[in-house]
Amino acid sequence: MSKHEMLGAPRGAEQSELACTINGEEMKLEVAGSKRLLSVLRDDLALTGTKRSCEIGRCGACMVLVDGKPINACLTMAYQCAGKQITTIEGIGADDGGMDPVQRAFLEEGGFQCGYCTPGMIISVKALLERSPDPSEDEMEEALSGNICRCTGYGGIKRAVERAIEWRRKAP
Amino acid sequence: MLLNRETSGKRWRIRPDGLGKVTGSLAYLTDMSASGMLYGRVLRSPHPHALILSICTEKAKQLEGVHAVLTHLDVPGLNRYGIAHQDQPVFCENKVRYVGDAVAAVAAETAELAEYALSLIEVDYELLPIVDDAELALSQDAPLLHPQGNVLHRSQFSRGQLDSGFAACSHIVEDTYFTPRQMHTYMETEGGLFVPEEDGRLTVYSPTQHGFMDRLQLSRIAAMKQERIRIVSSPIGGSFGGKDELNVQPYGALLALKTNCPVKLHHSRWESVRAGLKRHPMKIAMKTGTDASGRLLAHQVRIIADTGAYATLGAEVLNFTVEHVLGPYRYEHVEVDGYSVYTNNGMSGEFRGFGGNQAIFALEGQLDRLAEKLGMDPWELRRLNMRMPDDSGPFGQPVVVTEGAMQVWNAAEASGLWRERSMPDGDQEREPWIKVGIGSAFTMHGGGLGVGIPDPAGGRLSLAADGCIEAIFGYEEFGQGLLATLELMLIEQFGLAESDIRMIIGDTDLVPDSGSTTASRATSMMWKTLQNLKAPFTSQLLERAAVLLGKAADMLVMGAGGIYETAGRSLLLTYKELAEVEGEPISCSTAFQFPTSDTARTGAHFLYTYAAVVVKVEINQLTGRVKVLDQYHAVAAGPVMNPQGFLGQIEGGSSMALGFTVTEDAVMQQGQYMTKNLDTYLVPTIAEHRGTVTVEPIEHLPQGDSYGPRGIGEVGSVTLAPAIAAAIYKAVGIRVTKLPIEPELLQNDCAFAFAEEAVSER
Repeated sequence: MSKHEMLGAPRGAEQSELACTINGEEMKLEVAGSKRLLSVLRDDLALTGTKRSCEIGRCGACMVLVDGKPINACLTMAYQCAGKQITTIEGIGADDGGMDPVQRAFLEEGGFQCGYCTPGMIISVKALLERSPDPSEDEMEEALSGNICRCTGYGGIKRAVERAIEWRRKAP
Repeated sequence: MLLNRETSGKRWRIRPDGLGKVTGSLAYLTDMSASGMLYGRVLRSPHPHALILSICTEKAKQLEGVHAVLTHLDVPGLNRYGIAHQDQPVFCENKVRYVGDAVAAVAAETAELAEYALSLIEVDYELLPIVDDAELALSQDAPLLHPQGNVLHRSQFSRGQLDSGFAACSHIVEDTYFTPRQMHTYMETEGGLFVPEEDGRLTVYSPTQHGFMDRLQLSRIAAMKQERIRIVSSPIGGSFGGKDELNVQPYGALLALKTNCPVKLHHSRWESVRAGLKRHPMKIAMKTGTDASGRLLAHQVRIIADTGAYATLGAEVLNFTVEHVLGPYRYEHVEVDGYSVYTNNGMSGEFRGFGGNQAIFALEGQLDRLAEKLGMDPWELRRLNMRMPDDSGPFGQPVVVTEGAMQVWNAAEASGLWRERSMPDGDQEREPWIKVGIGSAFTMHGGGLGVGIPDPAGGRLSLAADGCIEAIFGYEEFGQGLLATLELMLIEQFGLAESDIRMIIGDTDLVPDSGSTTASRATSMMWKTLQNLKAPFTSQLLERAAVLLGKAADMLVMGAGGIYETAGRSLLLTYKELAEVEGEPISCSTAFQFPTSDTARTGAHFLYTYAAVVVKVEINQLTGRVKVLDQYHAVAAGPVMNPQGFLGQIEGGSSMALGFTVTEDAVMQQGQYMTKNLDTYLVPTIAEHRGTVTVEPIEHLPQGDSYGPRGIGEVGSVTLAPAIAAAIYKAVGIRVTKLPIEPELLQNDCAFAFAEEAVSER
């Protein structure tokens, strides 16, 4: 028994295998079942585009797509991801390596400043437009109200969403 | 001209830091890691005020995987920090004064172990009475928080004869205004990576707004020569003033030096809340009077600011408030008395607007109340009392000639939104408990640190060996768009192409000290630097090219990709070819101070930005909630250097002002934070931003003005609050004196009765 086990320290919890797909790549990871997805992504896989901020599911900086739905990685346990398709900001681009139209719209409209909320924001917009290609203002508000941006006042973000909607409409 | 993508044309550009931000590939300093890295954590006081009787770290030290446990006994140098006044302990010795006070720090092999190690540190406290109210802290029998007393700073200003001034007044209004403990709420909490280098130097990767100030402060704490410390301070996930002061740096630095391993710290949101700075809560009492025609005669102000446990820039913030409670108006008789007071509440400090936000909320409230007494249009009352272009500054100090006040006044007066004010409802049908009103307010806001404070500026331009033109500045990018602004200035002033430019910022090993990236100063100072460097740098390049090309230097010009003949359009020589020629390196620097007024008054400003805001709000008398429908901002700050950045600063600043007005308050009781995270501390979401924001920059400067663009980083966050208060009064006849506005204030029994009736009729 090591010294810190005697003292009741965190015991490196039992590792178990997590099989899931991350950004299109099938993965088998040895992680503690109690670990959060946010930590798996940032600390184990160095996918630091997913950000850590409030850690209570309020700000949306850590949003990723799980089977196409936007979720807060800070509230998701690793074991809940078994068999799931996870897409982070690093995996959101087009298959040819180019940007997703949502990313391009944020870039061109200046829908960001410090950029720390941007990956989560783009994930939410992407999920919104997948399920509702031409959202009403109410839908947009509902879909993005879980993503806090402290810099922009949301003006640039709204313009980016409008631009993305327009591009997707024109796209073949 | 209204500012947007369409009106900006080619000047609306993709930001150089944009690609990394939208793809997630940009590594923030808190995203960094290193092999063999340890995790640092800080043990903070659970008590707002207590004596430390003993600290025992033995159990924590014995824990396997713990590499260091530090207390005040382990600080090699000065166990204090603070940008202006070093009174904040790195580690408390025998007393804690707020719930963020640090007592110990650990470095361990995992984050979990580090956290567990904190729980093994035994600290015995003896609780002391809590001073949780700034006014009580001023009373004779209040417990003393510091040996010298509870007043960090008192700032006074007077002119004329107040008594006779008020005696001559026909109308006098008196009111007291309260503003909240607003949190910066940068999305990236404080953190960073601290790396001891093989040669014994220390590299600090951690956000700050003035790398050289962090280097100076850390050198004092670690007892290391400044040159032995390298501060990498950019990019940053938001700051707004909140990362200007040291936060994790002392702990990361000392732990890394002690363990000789890289150490990472990254605050949880709760640790950021408890330890971090906030906007000073202020109580501002004002008595203001006019003659029968509405001319301001006398103005008396008393300010009490809750500065929390330690100084940081509390004194400087108060100086700013004292200047800005006078605003862009003329008075004969003035008396201002301000106190910045120590309490056991959370730390207050530097925050976008720097004490102007509180001042303008109160001052503009007074103008509105006086206008009503006079039966005068509130905007007309402002025109009547407005400063003139040649007037001296609020303290009577010489300032640059400026037409800004009249420019923004006129622009707001002519705006569509202000013209709607007599019939804000238009022909829209609304429920009877929904009321609509339009209000406006007016601001002048100083730029730079002011008289008496070192405020260095400058930068360097070089032709690098690979042919890039390097622009090197000691500034930080925390989202404001500094890099985009610099890039556009280089393109427009030197004719360069984007691909010719390399910008280097935020690294004390590579950049000159350009001063702090604060106080709305960086754009002005980069512009001035380029003005200073344009002639010498261009001539160095052209003279070298002239020799090479066998042409006269005055026949050559700089352009995209290289050197051109003045008359011709063809590229004669690329910058790369020029860089490959042997000779002295081509490089030019300039160093100067932010321009200041010729006065002895500490903190007085010389350059000001002006803003006027018109806002339309909707009040729901059942819920008491305020919804902003439309905003118009006129901003007079000289030429727009970067349209996207300008628009973003005003939109973003006004969002912060909206939170300040309607929801944001870091609530404390008995020195403890009640709002520990973003579930209870409510910043505006997209749902609060459904209306339009129209921004009108006024670029015209008086003839001969040589100061160029004024800062716009803060002014957007200042003027919305009093404009909303004015709009609320228009809509429902209720005066707001306390922010954030409590819904109860605006709920109305008649509206309830009406709603009940409507329901029962159904």
